[in-house]
Amino acid sequence: MNKKASKIFSKIIFWILVVYLFIYFVFPFYWTINTSLKTENQLLMTPATFIPVDHLTGEAVFSLQNYKAVFTNPTFINGLKNSLIVALSVTILCLIIGSFAAFALGKLRFKGKRFSLYLILSMTMFPQISVLTGLYAVINKFHISAIPAMIFSYFLFTLPFTIWVMTSFFKGLPNSLMQAANVDGATAFQSFYMILLPLTAPAMVTTGLLAFIAAWNEYLFALTFTSIEESARTVPVAMALFTGTIAKQEPFGEIMAAAVVVTIPLLILIYIFQKKLIEGLTAGAVKG
Amino acid sequence: MKTKRHSLEKNEQKMALWLLLPSFVILFTIAFYPLGSVFSKSFTNERFASSQKTEFVGMQNYQKLLSLKITKLEAVSQDSNGTIIYEDPIDILPREPFRYKEISQFNIFSNHYVFSATDPAFIVSVKDTLTFTLLSVALETILGMAVALIMIKNFPGRGGMRVAMLVPWAIPTAVSSRMWEWMFASTRVGVFNVMGQWFGITNGQFPWLADPSTQVWAMIAIDVWKTTPFMALLIMAGLQTIPKGIYEAATIDGCNGWKQFTKMTLPMVKDTLVVALIFRTLDALRVFDLFQIVFAQKRYSMASYSYYQLIDNKLMGYSSATSVVIFLIIFLFIILYTKISGGVTDE
Repeated sequence: MNKKASKIFSKIIFWILVVYLFIYFVFPFYWTINTSLKTENQLLMTPATFIPVDHLTGEAVFSLQNYKAVFTNPTFINGLKNSLIVALSVTILCLIIGSFAAFALGKLRFKGKRFSLYLILSMTMFPQISVLTGLYAVINKFHISAIPAMIFSYFLFTLPFTIWVMTSFFKGLPNSLMQAANVDGATAFQSFYMILLPLTAPAMVTTGLLAFIAAWNEYLFALTFTSIEESARTVPVAMALFTGTIAKQEPFGEIMAAAVVVTIPLLILIYIFQKKLIEGLTAGAVKG
Repeated sequence: MKTKRHSLEKNEQKMALWLLLPSFVILFTIAFYPLGSVFSKSFTNERFASSQKTEFVGMQNYQKLLSLKITKLEAVSQDSNGTIIYEDPIDILPREPFRYKEISQFNIFSNHYVFSATDPAFIVSVKDTLTFTLLSVALETILGMAVALIMIKNFPGRGGMRVAMLVPWAIPTAVSSRMWEWMFASTRVGVFNVMGQWFGITNGQFPWLADPSTQVWAMIAIDVWKTTPFMALLIMAGLQTIPKGIYEAATIDGCNGWKQFTKMTLPMVKDTLVVALIFRTLDALRVFDLFQIVFAQKRYSMASYSYYQLIDNKLMGYSSATSVVIFLIIFLFIILYTKISGGVTDE
């Protein structure tokens, strides 16, 4: 009987923890949605309410005006477009260039392989801020405009990671596949793009997603390179420097609506690809 | 046969070179070359977007950035309450070649000292960044471990929990900074002041982001929320490699929960934990978005200070010196971790 009681007790503790953690992770986003549905007057109500309510009657009233404002805000729409261009370009280029390197590192025999691997691994620890002034000087000297500059510079953190994860994936593919192709008269490069590359599709989805999210979220380079070219600003920069169309002070209602708009696509991606994402995130740590 | 294999190997060598070339060209132009140029710029007085001639200034930037001084202050008088009044640091701190400015005053063995630096803002940013790094990484690790231990259990709703867990991680830092900025609002329009009042911690008017004593803590709170999921995922991956049977065996042998955790679980996830710690520490040391968005020029991290010197003050040379110092600090941490963990194990 006693044993049963303690089992129930520990079960209750367990569930309290689960519920607590769930609220901890989700609450800030809930609060964002809540804020985004409030009008400017409702925003200034004290104490803040947990759902948008009318300040006289106390009834729940939702307003979509912040969303309307966000979708007619040219800076934000332009930011979405820029972010999409940058993140997609980075992802695609990174996968192409990265899979070349990963194939060489994972499947070919050559001198200096270990050195190359470690060099690339060391790059994942490179602080962005330490190359900022140098990179900015290069970009200014050659008059590279902001969008290509961002695409190019984002390889700093997406490429090493992509190569690292893809290499370990290539290593896991059986050598016999390449040998068989070789016997059939295929060159190494043919066996790479006709046989091995299609097999790496799962790893490509994972690393591609992570590269996309990293590029979508990047702030330092985007802020610096677009400081004199405002039309090229990406979403994070637009969010950070948001000036509203409705409110005169800091337009938190609109900022929160923009936050929801930016986050929902990412959440959908996460929901669909959660297993793949988790594999990718942990691959570097466990296999490395 | 032998010659064929030989030529095949040579072929592979050549092909590997061509395949790796694009990656290395890119990484050279965006990482190694800029790093080198930052290093050489750090010895000059180069200004950004200016026609002023760039001159070599030797170690001057570093001297200004890093000069610290602890000076003893003499008592000059006593006020009516018996409190000793010390001389004003401004009168005694050196002014050449750079002026020393006070950071803080403190007492050791009834002697009164002043701690000063030629660039107090940078020294404070280093201190704040280190505090931020140590505390947030420690909290993330503990919380991440707890989350991981819960998430490896089978319970209904686990899938939903996993998605919930990825929410903070996926939201761009620029976005979550704004979200938390709003939650930390200094009146009761902010949820923390509402809750603070419920529990009697604040009067509902606490300026979380303006009060120097809570500024860094607010940054830590945001960072812990955002990166605990990442930590938990890594630890989970480590936990999943532990065979279940050993726990049953331990239970039969009378080894209880806590002992199982410290004697079995911890040593077995140690390697994963070290990798996770390295990732997170290096990430936290270069923190930029959070400080830049929430504080701008009110309080700096090392990276946001370097950015401020480059973009707002246009001091390219000085900013470069800051970047080099940041790079060296991060490098120091890498060496420290590899020493402690006994070297990176091979593949």
